[in-house]
Amino acid sequence: MQETIFSLLDVERVYTLGATGWFHRETRQLKALDGVRLELKRGDTLALVGESGSGKSTLIRLMLGLEPASDGRVLYGQHDLAHLDAEARKRFAREVAFIYQNARGSMNPRMRIADILAEPIRLHRLCEEQAIPARVEALIARVGLPAGLLQRFPGELSGGQVRRIAIARALAAEPTVIMADESVAGLDVSVQAQVLNLLRDLCRESGITLVFITHDLGVASYLCEKIAVLYLGRIVEQGPTHDILSAPRHPYTKALLQAFPRFDAPLCASLKGEIPSPVNLPKGCRFAGRCAQVQPACLEVDPPLTLLTPERQVACLFPVVNPC
Amino acid sequence: MNQVSVLAQNIPVESSAEAPLLEVRDFSLRRKKATVLDRITLSLNPGETLGLIGESGAGKSTLAMALIGLLRAPEVEIEGSLRFRGTELTALKEADFRRLRGNKIGLIFQDATAALNPCFTVGKQIAEPLRRHLGLSASACRARAVELMQSVGIPEPRLRLDAYPHELSGGMQQRVMIAIALACNPELLLADEPTSALDVTIQAQIMELILDRVRALNSSAIFVLHDLALGAQVCDRIAVMYAGQIVEEGPSECVLNAPLHPYTQGLKSCVVELGMPTLTPIPGQIPPLDAMPNGCRFAPRCPKAQAICGEQRPEAHTRDERQVACWFID
Repeated sequence: MQETIFSLLDVERVYTLGATGWFHRETRQLKALDGVRLELKRGDTLALVGESGSGKSTLIRLMLGLEPASDGRVLYGQHDLAHLDAEARKRFAREVAFIYQNARGSMNPRMRIADILAEPIRLHRLCEEQAIPARVEALIARVGLPAGLLQRFPGELSGGQVRRIAIARALAAEPTVIMADESVAGLDVSVQAQVLNLLRDLCRESGITLVFITHDLGVASYLCEKIAVLYLGRIVEQGPTHDILSAPRHPYTKALLQAFPRFDAPLCASLKGEIPSPVNLPKGCRFAGRCAQVQPACLEVDPPLTLLTPERQVACLFPVVNPC
Repeated sequence: MNQVSVLAQNIPVESSAEAPLLEVRDFSLRRKKATVLDRITLSLNPGETLGLIGESGAGKSTLAMALIGLLRAPEVEIEGSLRFRGTELTALKEADFRRLRGNKIGLIFQDATAALNPCFTVGKQIAEPLRRHLGLSASACRARAVELMQSVGIPEPRLRLDAYPHELSGGMQQRVMIAIALACNPELLLADEPTSALDVTIQAQIMELILDRVRALNSSAIFVLHDLALGAQVCDRIAVMYAGQIVEEGPSECVLNAPLHPYTQGLKSCVVELGMPTLTPIPGQIPPLDAMPNGCRFAPRCPKAQAICGEQRPEAHTRDERQVACWFID
């Protein structure tokens, strides 16, 4: 049995929206996450998949301790992230690395690449000052870039190179967990393939636990062994990648799969409409408004995430029987 | 409503079925001595959809911009010919070009948020080409704008007419831009990465919508895309571009299912498909414009490159229904 690294226990994240007018100071509640349960074991590679607005980024921010949960608990090992002492907090920061969605924006434009990569090493005092240059060179070699780039500034690098530097920086503190938010979105296919191969090799070689946010099911299937599909702040389906892609049980997962462009199938706009606002959530199933196989019961009952098999969970009253 | 039927008669149907709608022949574009587009040749028949595919820096967007005369500047040298419905575009005066843009040629840009003017309501922006090109009155513009918004699937168009772009979601903004592009029933629609900023579900909706409208108007369309699988789904023909040249062009099912050019093959092996075991990236990157190799521009990255590839540029060979520019296509 592998060690559990992260457990999320019925995590909720509510944002309070400000007053709508001068005279009526009503506030509205936006539920970005609503009752998320998730367990992450050492060595897992998990993809969080869903449309924008489904709560993927909020979930990862909570797991990084960047935001507190409004309700429920986020446990890292045995410790509640909300009550880490200073020392544990620092260890957490070393062990869990984050790769931002906007890699270029996450780097100081006035710092040279060498300093950007040395910063986490210095911060965590991982080695003697004179050993830092060698470590930095090893890092940049590990992500497949020439050492000549070390004296450049982030603005002088191409999009693919900046993403690799972001990965190198995440590796600098020798983390056990890497979280990445859309790290390959917007790249050319050839550069995307290079970055994906790099991430996959890193996970396989050093047994790093990976949480990867993506809206691209192809990317999810290439990198991750497990997938959690989010919709309006809830996990609606979760399980091993292969099972989910070959036989989706939630209608939303099925629709996402059908919308994914592929060479051997015609264009299919499987979902009508857009993800609704999380401010006024409907009473029953939150996907009911867009679901192709909605039944009267769906408008009344909010389906909980239930076990189908020991590894597979789905939140639907009428799970898909004949996939695709 | 009367104005709208008058509007339909305003569209002259001159192009016969045989003549291509758009013909690009040996079109080159140089900027500061760098050859940005190099002897592009293609043609598009009425009702056809063409996809321009390649990495960033391949010249896809530049070609699209050149087609609509947005790259006319003193430092830009142009050679070759661009014919649209028999009119030579390279010789067209700016004033005449303005009558074409947004009228006979509609445009959809990648980033709707940036393309729409934040200071005007979407109703005003949809009405602009109607007023400018068709000379409709204010009330007729409004009526037609509502119709257009309905046709692109914007719910409650009457209410949305007075909304500003920031009040709409990304998908809805993209729909507004499609409504603007289609306002004057264009014969050619240029769409530069129309869905790359959107979710896959919204992408499928928007692409279906564009295709549906293009077919309903019997127009042609050129899509600039980076997603090969999407290209296979929406385009009749595909032109693969590399470093300012077209390296392979033909029916999309041939080009994408059985690519002949090593670059197309390389691109295809980078595409993440569901359940794919390995990806093989193309090594290296597109050379900078001022340091293009003399022979085949793809030679430095090509796994099949031989001595001749570094020396002489391969001419396009015709193979079945497609054109391939490579010395070794077997």
